[in-house]
Amino acid sequence: MLRGALVGALAAGLSACELVEFSPNDHRAPAHQKDLTAKNLARLAAAPLPPGDTLRFVFTGDSQRFYDDAEDLVRSVNQQPGIQFMLVSGDISDFGLGREMQWVDNELRQLKVPYLTVIGNHDQVANGREAYQEIFGPLNYSFVFGDTKFVLIDTNSREYNFNGRVPDVPWLQQQLADPAGARRTVVISHVPPQDNDFDPSLRDAYAATLRETPNLVFEMNGHRHDYSVTQPFNDGVTYVNSYSFEKRNYLIVTVWGDKQFRLKQISF
Amino acid sequence: MAASLLLAALLSAAGTPATAVPNGPGPSDSVVVATTAETPAAETPAAETPAAANPAAPASGPVRYRPRHLLLQTGGGVGMLSAGGGLSFAHRRLDLDGLLGYVPARHAGTALTIASLKLKYAPWELPLGRSGLALQPLAVGVYGSYTFGLRNPGKPDQYPDDYYWWSSTMRVGPVLGSSLSYMLPVAANGHTRRLTAYYELATNDLYAISYYQNRRALSLRDIATLALGLKLEF
Repeated sequence: MLRGALVGALAAGLSACELVEFSPNDHRAPAHQKDLTAKNLARLAAAPLPPGDTLRFVFTGDSQRFYDDAEDLVRSVNQQPGIQFMLVSGDISDFGLGREMQWVDNELRQLKVPYLTVIGNHDQVANGREAYQEIFGPLNYSFVFGDTKFVLIDTNSREYNFNGRVPDVPWLQQQLADPAGARRTVVISHVPPQDNDFDPSLRDAYAATLRETPNLVFEMNGHRHDYSVTQPFNDGVTYVNSYSFEKRNYLIVTVWGDKQFRLKQISF
Repeated sequence: MAASLLLAALLSAAGTPATAVPNGPGPSDSVVVATTAETPAAETPAAETPAAANPAAPASGPVRYRPRHLLLQTGGGVGMLSAGGGLSFAHRRLDLDGLLGYVPARHAGTALTIASLKLKYAPWELPLGRSGLALQPLAVGVYGSYTFGLRNPGKPDQYPDDYYWWSSTMRVGPVLGSSLSYMLPVAANGHTRRLTAYYELATNDLYAISYYQNRRALSLRDIATLALGLKLEF
């Protein structure tokens, strides 16, 4: 009885501590909401895809200030059979605040599958970059799942005031030059290279890097809040843009063979 | 329990005559309420205290704007530690506080300095027997803050017009809280002093709009912040 009261008081105290916010830009988070990228990658590695098996994942983006929609999206995705994970193409938060990223995770951690993110421009407002790194993880990273290498890269050049170093094209070249045993590659970033928010001085080098990667299936982007499949540089490289959460649609992406794919649109 | 507390507070407030109180550094109305707990209309003696009786009282001047208290606070979105002071009006029921707060880089990516202003109104005060304690069961207010030291607050020409519609540096929000005061021994110079511990639940404009548009997925608990603080009245 007394112990129960003490535990209860301790829990209430800890919960109150979490409310003691130093600033909205304060990025402290409870342990279970730190390093989410590493945690989700560990979950993914725990259920590996045998070589030759078809890859199937959900592609969406721009969760931003759409928490009610996130709840519905999760309910819908949890009903899809054969999904291996979900990709969110950036703009997890709207105002670049750590608490927003935690709110999105509160919804997305209800998924039956792991989810992975790439940083968006909204996630870099104010001190959002640090919050993203604390709560999710690295800004540029890659992983191999089954036969596919996924390369996720920060292309939010405007947030760095076009300093000529974002996206990190040499890092991308290095990642694409080493397939790490995978048969094919997928690149994911928030801002598509044809966008005005992409550093114009790096656009050609970036597009050329993708063009020169023969095993590239496509580049996947967000930012535009709507679905499209285009070849903006007319160079044979396909760019797939995601729906945002508030469009109440997402894509189920199926990839097999060398680089064959199918995109299925699901409304929720 | 809470309702009866509130009722008692209302009665106590109703018994308080709206007498003008000198704004000199003599004992204030609210302080006297705490010391003479048996008489609810405790402001009268304070009102009749001649300012001249206090040797430290200024002869003239805009005494109304003399700082009446110092503050030390953690949380509330305005600093890991913030310190400041404030003015008091309406028989010390209305406070205008200014705070300067600090957040070290390890908690926010860069070291932040946050300047904030807060207007807080506590209509009721409940003396708790002869203990020297008094409870202010409810305070409501608003605050605004400005943050210095953000990594990416936006440089001129970095963004096209209206690219982001909100300010990263300026926040405003409502505040709700309570406090408990304790009479301190009278200072050597005759000043009455009182130490108050307070908490405040608050939120900010960005959290509020997130909640307003997502009342299914977000709760008030999600958008609440907590501040804990000490106030020294003199």
